Amino acid sequence: MTSILLITLKGIFRDRVFQGIMVMALLFLFIPTIGSLSMRQVTELSITLSLSLISFILLLLAVFLGGTSLWKDIEKRYTFSVLGLPLSRTSYILGRFMGNALFLCLTALFLGVITLLVILWAKGLYPPSRPVRWDNMMIAVLFDTLKYLLLVSVAFFFSSVSTSFFLPIFGTISVYLVGNASQEVYDYLHSGSQAVKVLPGMVVKAASLLYYLIPNLAAFDYKLQAVYGLDIAGRGMALTVLYWVIYTTIMLALTAVIYERREMK
Amino acid sequence: MKVIDIQGLKKSFTGKRMQRVEALKGIDLQVGRGEVFGFLGPNGAGKSTTIKSLMGLIRPTAGTVRLNGIDVHDPASRRSVGYLPENPAFYEYLSAQEYLTFVGRAFGMVPQRVKERGEQSLRRLDLWEARSRPIRGYSKGMVQRLGVAQALLHDPDIYIMDEPMSGLDPLGRALVKEIIRELRGEGKCVFFSTHITADVEAVCDRVGVIVNGALRMVERVDRIMAEGITGYLLRSRSPAGEREQIVTVDHLSDLLSRLKEEGQTVTLVEPVRKNLEQFFLDIVKGG
Repeated sequence: MTSILLITLKGIFRDRVFQGIMVMALLFLFIPTIGSLSMRQVTELSITLSLSLISFILLLLAVFLGGTSLWKDIEKRYTFSVLGLPLSRTSYILGRFMGNALFLCLTALFLGVITLLVILWAKGLYPPSRPVRWDNMMIAVLFDTLKYLLLVSVAFFFSSVSTSFFLPIFGTISVYLVGNASQEVYDYLHSGSQAVKVLPGMVVKAASLLYYLIPNLAAFDYKLQAVYGLDIAGRGMALTVLYWVIYTTIMLALTAVIYERREMK
Repeated sequence: MKVIDIQGLKKSFTGKRMQRVEALKGIDLQVGRGEVFGFLGPNGAGKSTTIKSLMGLIRPTAGTVRLNGIDVHDPASRRSVGYLPENPAFYEYLSAQEYLTFVGRAFGMVPQRVKERGEQSLRRLDLWEARSRPIRGYSKGMVQRLGVAQALLHDPDIYIMDEPMSGLDPLGRALVKEIIRELRGEGKCVFFSTHITADVEAVCDRVGVIVNGALRMVERVDRIMAEGITGYLLRSRSPAGEREQIVTVDHLSDLLSRLKEEGQTVTLVEPVRKNLEQFFLDIVKGG
């Protein structure tokens, strides 16, 4: 598994993805300037923009690296030579996942450090009215990273059942969109409002089913707490981490089971 | 114990319009140590399907496949196997040396051993100068030779090669044939597929012919060659000059006696063989 992890990392670095991210990271330099447009909430806006930029970069990586990692190996016929080695397919899947995950974590760490420097800079230029909660910012980046790792596991699951990149890429994007909105939809459907009562029962049931099937990505969003320095409940974080462990494990286990049975024709 | 043991191997695929395609129809085959086995068959006969079953890349519909006594479902069965896939492709962002390091690590080799064996293999396959270049810059023949090098790396007991001479120039083909002969000398088992009969004739101890998913024949190559003698070319010399004639096996002794009586000197008796290609064509066309 370690050998697969290492060549996955090497492949990502040599495919110039990392260099591309470095270029995108240059956008961080403009954040204090853009933040100054808000006049009064420069630091708050800088935090929002920085965390959103990290989130966007991690999303791109999760979708495109996660969604093409297994597919590219099949498409380019690498799987025949790799699976001809005495490696189980499960260790191949886990090695590939860990390689992607490690890269995502390194990227998040790198971007997180840049964010801290940018906020420090913005804070120096325009002192904020309320203290900056550095711990909350780190928590927000950490949970964002967990969210995108979960999304990579979803992309892997789609890759295990698909022969093209279409399902892994667009399926993952769909899960991302639905997963971010599912909590709000669920809350709305169970709010007892008049508008919900006229909806067919099937629609409510289908939406509830989707809520339980699709990962609830809104639970990983701590941006608001980071921007406004709000307290974060430890129990909530613990439950989210537990949810992440269970969901990611299920996704990877399903991927491994399906991939073990897959015919390499 | 036979190192390659295939029993009752069947494989069916669901093709277009949900039609059932029987790719392999019950293959029974055993190959032992120190044996070079050529797996011959026309395109689409089932050679690659058999090899993929041997490597656990596809699951048999029925039957068992064992390598060194271990079922191929178990990745441990591949510990003592050097595998060269058909039209091989390797992570093209790696160099040959990095790829061999990856392969060595997968086989649990210690770094020093990987370094030594890697250098030996790359030099043997004439890739040493190109070892640090990314594989994406290699020619097709170089990638094929790298495929052979990575199969040799951990000095396995069994070599399974799908069309090993494919994409190679005459020098490369000669080199791979020489390596296969060396492996036989070291007591290794080499199983390779091909549709080129000359390759089988040149290096194999036994040959199996597969047609439409069924193993039509398994025979020793030297026996085929011996049985394939259709007659003799006979050259004789007399005061009138030199003369060549072809005679059937049954009439050879009569002719020799007659020539002796006539006072002619026999200068050459050479068997005329049906070559392996003709033999192969007879089997394939025979239904």
